[in-house]
Amino acid sequence: MSEIHHDHNDHQHDEAELAAKKAARPKIEKNQANHWLSIDQYMQDPEFQKAVDTEFMSSPLREEEAKNPWARREFLKLMGASMALSTASCIRRPVQKIVPYNKQPEEVTFGVPNFYTSTFFDGQESLGVLIKTREGRPIKLESLTNNPLNQGGTSVRSQAHILSLYDLDRLTAPKKNLFNEKRTNKDTISVSWENADTAIVESLKKGGVYVLTGNIVSPSTQAIVKDFSEGFKATHVAWEVLANDDVRKGQKASYGTDVLPFYRFDKSKMTVSIDADFLGTWIAPTVFTKQYSKTRKDLANMSRMVAFDSNYSLTGANADIRVRIKPSQQLKVAVALAQELIVKQGKSSYAGNSDVKNWLNSFGNPAEGLNIEPALLKEIAKDLWDAKGESLVVAGGLKTQSETSLALQVVVNLLNSALENDGKTVQHKRSMTSSASHADMTSLIDAMKNKKVKTLVIHGVNPAYGLPAKAEFQEHLKNVETVVYIGDRMNETAMWANYVLPENHSMENWGDAEMVSGVFAIQQPAIKPMYDTQSMQITLMNWCFQAKVGPKRIQEFESYYDYLKNYWKTEIFPKHGKGSSFDKNWQDLLQTGSIGDVEGSDGSRSFSVSSLTDLKKPAAVEGWELVLYPTSQFGDGMGSQANIGWLHELPDPVTKAVWDNYASISIAAAAKLKVKEGSLIEITVGKDKMELPVLVQPGLQDDVIAIAVGYGRTHVGSVGNGIGKNAYELVQTNEKGQVLFAGVKAEVKVTGKKYEIAHTQTHHSMEGRQIVVEATLKEYQTKKDHIIHKHPIWSVWSGHQYNGHKWGMAIDLNSCTGCSACMTACQSENNIPVVGKKYVMQGREMHWIRIDRYYTGKPEDAHAVFQPVMCQHCDNAPCETVCPVLATVHSSEGLNEMVYNRCVGTRYCSNNCPYKVRRFNWFNYAKKITAPGNMALNPDVGVRVRGVMEKCTFCVQRIKEGKNNAKLENRPLKDGEIKTACQTSCPTDAIVFGDMNDANSQVSKLFKNERSYALLEEWHAAPSVRYQAKIRNNGKDQIAASGAHEGGH
Amino acid sequence: MSIFFKKLEVKRVVKALVSLFFLGSLVGLSSLVIGCKFQPDWGYNTGYKPEQPIPYSHELHVGKLGMQCQYCHNQVERSKHSNIPTLQTCMNCHLQVKTDSPHIQKMREAYDAGNSIEWVRVHMLPDHVQFNHSAHVTKGVNCQTCHGPIETMEKVTQQADLSMGFCINCHRQEENKAPLNCTTCHH
Repeated sequence: MSEIHHDHNDHQHDEAELAAKKAARPKIEKNQANHWLSIDQYMQDPEFQKAVDTEFMSSPLREEEAKNPWARREFLKLMGASMALSTASCIRRPVQKIVPYNKQPEEVTFGVPNFYTSTFFDGQESLGVLIKTREGRPIKLESLTNNPLNQGGTSVRSQAHILSLYDLDRLTAPKKNLFNEKRTNKDTISVSWENADTAIVESLKKGGVYVLTGNIVSPSTQAIVKDFSEGFKATHVAWEVLANDDVRKGQKASYGTDVLPFYRFDKSKMTVSIDADFLGTWIAPTVFTKQYSKTRKDLANMSRMVAFDSNYSLTGANADIRVRIKPSQQLKVAVALAQELIVKQGKSSYAGNSDVKNWLNSFGNPAEGLNIEPALLKEIAKDLWDAKGESLVVAGGLKTQSETSLALQVVVNLLNSALENDGKTVQHKRSMTSSASHADMTSLIDAMKNKKVKTLVIHGVNPAYGLPAKAEFQEHLKNVETVVYIGDRMNETAMWANYVLPENHSMENWGDAEMVSGVFAIQQPAIKPMYDTQSMQITLMNWCFQAKVGPKRIQEFESYYDYLKNYWKTEIFPKHGKGSSFDKNWQDLLQTGSIGDVEGSDGSRSFSVSSLTDLKKPAAVEGWELVLYPTSQFGDGMGSQANIGWLHELPDPVTKAVWDNYASISIAAAAKLKVKEGSLIEITVGKDKMELPVLVQPGLQDDVIAIAVGYGRTHVGSVGNGIGKNAYELVQTNEKGQVLFAGVKAEVKVTGKKYEIAHTQTHHSMEGRQIVVEATLKEYQTKKDHIIHKHPIWSVWSGHQYNGHKWGMAIDLNSCTGCSACMTACQSENNIPVVGKKYVMQGREMHWIRIDRYYTGKPEDAHAVFQPVMCQHCDNAPCETVCPVLATVHSSEGLNEMVYNRCVGTRYCSNNCPYKVRRFNWFNYAKKITAPGNMALNPDVGVRVRGVMEKCTFCVQRIKEGKNNAKLENRPLKDGEIKTACQTSCPTDAIVFGDMNDANSQVSKLFKNERSYALLEEWHAAPSVRYQAKIRNNGKDQIAASGAHEGGH
Repeated sequence: MSIFFKKLEVKRVVKALVSLFFLGSLVGLSSLVIGCKFQPDWGYNTGYKPEQPIPYSHELHVGKLGMQCQYCHNQVERSKHSNIPTLQTCMNCHLQVKTDSPHIQKMREAYDAGNSIEWVRVHMLPDHVQFNHSAHVTKGVNCQTCHGPIETMEKVTQQADLSMGFCINCHRQEENKAPLNCTTCHH
């Protein structure tokens, strides 16, 4: 401002000057994009305003002082004393010992990580991963890009898997439970493997053996279970809560084959999902997310996705068009689509089939009562037909397990057959491995009831938790003479077993997986078993060996590794290998992690019309409808990872609530019940009652009560016990024995009690500025870069010189699905603590990267957008200028550095950060880390102590490692060589990191993209992170009815 | 009257306490400054020369016999850590050489039993500091720059104070082209 002449005597001139300066400042635009964070904000709730005003004003000292006014003075006194102490004496450091190896293991170099190809399987999906180990201990799961299915994508669960290895509550040795005659009490004692094995073999020899497992994707384990069953004449029962047997039943009815198809979202240009949450929890969400994201990158040929959603799922949040429904409308939606396509528009080979037509017409007008305009339905049907052979209709998951589940599947099959998708986007020869079923579980319970089961071997699954008490699994378990539980902890089922045999963690164990038919992956161990545990496979092999039963192969091998290797040698390589020698094949497999690919398509099958006409129409449901849904944090629905703090503290991608489950109801429903968020309601389904807090969720159908499963574990461990309620208690079984998770009539009673739900997001209010830029595809095609509002920018800074590298990050909001894998990956990489529910409520969560979710449009039909926000590494960083001790400074490579040693905890930087990405260590969280949890820490990243600010470093340890590797090899650094933890974990490749000084780097190119913009650009903090606008392919001219992006100044 | 006195006393005590506090901190601070000025190694461990379980002599092995540092510290060029050799490395020679020495016999026993030797760490950086050996060694920085004339040491002694100033002094010199960012060492 040097051109302005200063005249201190002339006040009027001063004022004019001030006014001129003010006018020259960039304006803050309010409500430009009409984004709102929570309903309270939308409603302009005064309480919310108060919370926003005092958001960063809490202080432990002030709180302490309120209780005890002397606390602060005591603190000062202590400070004085400790200062005197530190000056009075010079204490010699503690003596440290260095203990080298006796013999050097060939593969270990101190300080250099080793990576092992392996497979992660959580009962639902299997993913190819790399296990990063340091000095022989696994510290992180990394992406394995050459896996043909997930192609490097990882999930929240796989990233958190490392903590289950170092879980304090794992069983460390075999246990025996002593019961009284009625089995009402128990007394757990230790037992040796030998004694347990002898006793169990005696029992097995008596016959009546049943083996209960989860869904087994490992072909060699399947073979062992088969061999074992053959040897002891045992019956094998596979059961999972998320069994996907509805899809298989539908396939069997329509096509005569009991398969779980491999869906190809990467080949689909038009996808319709009816409550199949394929981006969050359905079948193989990470693989599907990878596939789906590929169809969204090329904006000229962008796919479209329509979701009919009865809770607010990740799939619904990412859909171009989202329609809220309730479970009893799922079938109507499918029939309405089929009717529109086949009857009204007369398309497809079924248009002339009178049976099909009559059946479809028998529904009358199914679209009636649905929250969907006839024009939209017509458009969806037309789009599906226009993309025939390259479109896909899917339905399934827990939310569709209602009375109509079979009918829904059959109509969806009809649609896919009519659209000629069968064999193309619905691959049936390449199917997913799935054998679990609810019917088998029912028959097992019957067998137990009739005392046919003498010995029951349970592996992994937890029916005492996953089945409601009225299923009487636990009751009839008492009829079984010997119950053997093979698993990792003393859980709800294990505590009622006679023998509890601890199992190796998957990172301690060999294994394999058939991800889809023809694609086999290997699971390598990365650490020696930490405790006195052994694999379930060797346990079964031992029993066969001791009893001398079963085929030769199960008796002759001494370890599961030998069995596995032999299995690959005799079964897999001859059929699927490349024909070279076994040793070569095996070495290649260990290097790449998998064999086989997913190329090619299958032929179409003929759809059996009688499967359709046999169906009966459902009875109408009135009033409240229950929807149970699995969350993407606890994917398998069994809460098997419920003892991992990272997952509890990871906010739900949509609701952003942590450490709880709750009953989500719509805004109108809350108004009708006169309840607010946190009001406790009593939900009655049949004879079952449950009290849960309300969470008011925009975009829900008004009759829906949605409750997450996987919570309410009672015997999972010190972290997860008693968090939330077990929603399986509300599961009903109809007279045909079908298990109903959704669409069941419910009653609601307001109790008048209160309960607090912790959220991470209402703390991060952004006051409606240009935060997430969103445009429709049409808008983007006509306006191009004008979808982004450009601000006049002036600077008071002279700027920095970046002579070497200048690091930058580009984030594609159009790819990001909000899955949150990056958050867990960051937590694992950077030793980020978990703070617990109480402190999340005070806004003290420690995540270095968060995913903001904004709703747009009308609240009742709200659409969601996601935005990952981490430290923006601003060139003109506001935090740097206010730090009184230079603890946060600018690096020559554009990083905003945080020096923990210097930080004295004034928190000025956090107050001055416009992005609210800085996190403060209110307590000594590091002290809470106990062995063996400390083994999960990344040794390349410091562990912060109390009173220190911390934040995203752009994974500076990885930058250093990359630069150093290049230097050691005497070559320039390659673009893409350095990848941040969030980037590698991302299943949609939404995050790109690189050198902005290299004009050819991917990140430089993305920065020039016409969708590229920076957060709060008008403040000219000049962030090194730039976002690319989200594009919604919804066929509309504009994103929201309120006229977003038109306001301007 | 008595109330007045009491009040006065309380005030006096408070005043005395406050001034004592400030005096204390002043003394503390000044001694910190003075201490640093007159005793450059104050607070560091320069001259630290602990007894080792086996009196391994660098003077003999490096100085007299002329062994390369990397013969034993073989990972130093590819890792951030310079490894202490395994017993196996020692035994490469000492299965044959000087087997009658009681120290070698002690080592041999540990080796045969599959145990290790607990060496006492001499060079230790302050907390929250990351140092990468490979980056320095491959750049041509001599071991002696930080570790002193190790080839003359009968018993290893810490020569440099390994303070931040010690690191920065080198990094600052332009011909070294070394980075001066905080995160070069602290993260």
